[in-house]
Amino acid sequence: MTAARRAAAEAWAFRARVEQEAAQRFDRLAAIVAGFDPGSPVPAMMRRAADDERRHTELCSRLARNLGSPVTLDPAADLPAIAPRTLDARQAALYEVVAACCITETESMATLTTLLAGEPDPEVREVLHSISRDELVHSRMGWAHLSRESSSAEVAFLSPLIPGMLAGTIDEGLFGSPPADEDPEGLLRLGVLPLARKREVFLGTLEQVVFPGLERFGVDPEPGRQWLSHAAGLQ
Amino acid sequence: MHFKKLFQVLVLGGAVVGASSGCAQANAQDKDKKPPVDAGTQTGGGVKGW
Repeated sequence: MTAARRAAAEAWAFRARVEQEAAQRFDRLAAIVAGFDPGSPVPAMMRRAADDERRHTELCSRLARNLGSPVTLDPAADLPAIAPRTLDARQAALYEVVAACCITETESMATLTTLLAGEPDPEVREVLHSISRDELVHSRMGWAHLSRESSSAEVAFLSPLIPGMLAGTIDEGLFGSPPADEDPEGLLRLGVLPLARKREVFLGTLEQVVFPGLERFGVDPEPGRQWLSHAAGLQ
Repeated sequence: MHFKKLFQVLVLGGAVVGASSGCAQANAQDKDKKPPVDAGTQTGGGVKGW
């Protein structure tokens, strides 16, 4: 097995687990948000998103298996809550929606559009295209929820918590060196960004999409910017 | 161009979706609603993605 194929198989297996967790998270958040904002369109979007994520889990698992990395998933696995214990239930839901949708799903969309702009293998392209249509909605529902909450409640409490969300989003190796045997062209064909491109997309998305978005809805992005400068070695 | 378009489609598009059925209501009782005691972390975490 080539290095690119091995790395891609691991990446798609990881994505399968990420998608399964997302399905559980959206099911849970849909019920919570509906409890305090029954007029919101977001809970219905989240329930549809959970179904999308279950389908994505299958797609990612199939690709991982075809590339040589069978995935074993535990549908009964507990999904840990990620919000700080100091928050009330409504704040905790907003924290989790911002982390999962405004940050992670937005980053996923940037990754997907970057991959689709290249020349992935046909089977990979089909999966990327199918998933990207849904991820667009999943990111947008996060911004929709933040927008609604900013019109009725104080959301500035999120600002100092953004670094924790970002630190929990990235892989440890994102700001390190690529593996010696990295094959950038091979990875792109198999639907995976080489490390330098992944870092570039992550930084650009934060600086030009996520931080301006947070600021627009009343969340000061400065602590997040400072974390990024430190983490990326820009200062 | 790529990021600018994402901002428009995701962030601004999300705001339009959020405003499509009125505003959320503030509810003082929400302040008293706490997550389950075994939920959450000390400092908060993030969500892994692609």
